[in-house]
Amino acid sequence: MRELNAIKIKDSHYEVDMRGWVCPYPKYAVEGLVRKFDKGRLDLLVDCPSATEDVPKVAQAMGCAVPEVNQIGGGEWRIAIVK
Amino acid sequence: MTTQIKPVAGAGRWNAITTNLTDVFYVALWKKAWPLWVGAVALALTNLFMFAFARAVGVFPQMGMWGAQVYNLAGIKVDAPFTAYPLAPLHLDMHSMICFGIVLGVAMAALLSEEFKLRKDHWTGYAAAAAGGVFMGFGTVIMPPCNVGGFYTATMALSLSGPLTVLGLVPGAYVGGLLMKWQATRAVEALDFRALSVSAPAEKKSSSAQPYLGAAVGVTLLAAAAAYASQGMMKQCGLLLFGALFGVIFQRSRLCFTSAFREILISRNGTLMKWVLLSIAIGTVGFALLKATGYQPMHYVLPVGVHTVVGGFIFGIGMSLAGGCGIGILWRSAEGYTRAWVAVVTGMMTAGAWVLIYGKHVGEGWLYGKPYSLAQHGGWFGGSAIVFAFLAVFYLFILYVEAGKRERA
Repeated sequence: MRELNAIKIKDSHYEVDMRGWVCPYPKYAVEGLVRKFDKGRLDLLVDCPSATEDVPKVAQAMGCAVPEVNQIGGGEWRIAIVK
Repeated sequence: MTTQIKPVAGAGRWNAITTNLTDVFYVALWKKAWPLWVGAVALALTNLFMFAFARAVGVFPQMGMWGAQVYNLAGIKVDAPFTAYPLAPLHLDMHSMICFGIVLGVAMAALLSEEFKLRKDHWTGYAAAAAGGVFMGFGTVIMPPCNVGGFYTATMALSLSGPLTVLGLVPGAYVGGLLMKWQATRAVEALDFRALSVSAPAEKKSSSAQPYLGAAVGVTLLAAAAAYASQGMMKQCGLLLFGALFGVIFQRSRLCFTSAFREILISRNGTLMKWVLLSIAIGTVGFALLKATGYQPMHYVLPVGVHTVVGGFIFGIGMSLAGGCGIGILWRSAEGYTRAWVAVVTGMMTAGAWVLIYGKHVGEGWLYGKPYSLAQHGGWFGGSAIVFAFLAVFYLFILYVEAGKRERA
């Protein structure tokens, strides 16, 4: 089974690396990630362009804030989700 | 799109002009995604102009021809699956130019917008893409042809088959989408935030040379088009450029048909499909007018029967698994998704083997019904009215599904 790569940056701040997961996986995963996550900030790394629009929409619909969607390289983005 | 001139403190008119030009020709075109409605309208108009020039858009039949070519090179004699797309050297085949154009147009747009990346996938991703390509290869010869040709263009072209593909594509894309959703859910469930160890976040990479490479691809595209024109091959030249225009529109607006079909039932969100329907509505008016003048009246009027729905279902599963329909996998290939490369190969090799498997071409024999144009009995006006009625019904169906989401929430 394919696993998610994730790290802890500091308390209540995690980074989930979904680079290599094509669209629509990030969009499908974010719902579960937000639910699983207590409180704090979750950074999702993605490399499919459409996720930069889809993921914030799903997160915002679940009541989270999305303070940044930043490009971190060619075809790679960091999406910050705050719950 | 931003067109107003930004105030530039202390600088002259020249600065204001360059700022304005950058806003329009760089930021609006290449840095920001185009609004979906821009993509929808641009697609319909491009398809209409290309039909008036030579033919409408669709990509899988010629990819099936590529597959048949490979078999022949390997010593296995087989004819191309579609009689209208006979075996031909790829660099001379006008239909293949649309595919090459899409690849070059997407590569140019993706590089200019710094969205290109050579993306490796997990082995399960490659397996899904290989299976998806096989499903789409069979779907394209059974439906026929692909999602964009068989649903989008065929509906505009007043082919009865067009609206009927929806009965197969929607459930097919749903089944494929469920598999992906299940996979994503399993991966999330396995993740334990408390067990994670502390490490440094991913770093931001410095700026890349992608925009320059994108410009180089653009120059290559124009040079290839000029080369065809200089040989008097205007159809090849034109279709290469039209293909590139399609590629740019798809890449920048992210108007993905696979997502449009899949998300109606998976996320109960029909936003994309609603724009696709608008696009078809615009195109239908143009196609009906052109055809009514006697111009290619049976263009993209396709065999219709049970195979339309069955083929659509198979194709729908395939495009979800592969992560794109015929155009979608060409588009993702050019963005650097190695997963899509796999789907292109298995898709073309499957469709290319059709005459070996079935013994006849697409449209011949017991499997296929006859082509039926909605204008045959209702005239061009009546035929268009039927298409608009179909679009209205599909639209209401989407609203009905979306309303269910609000009810559950």
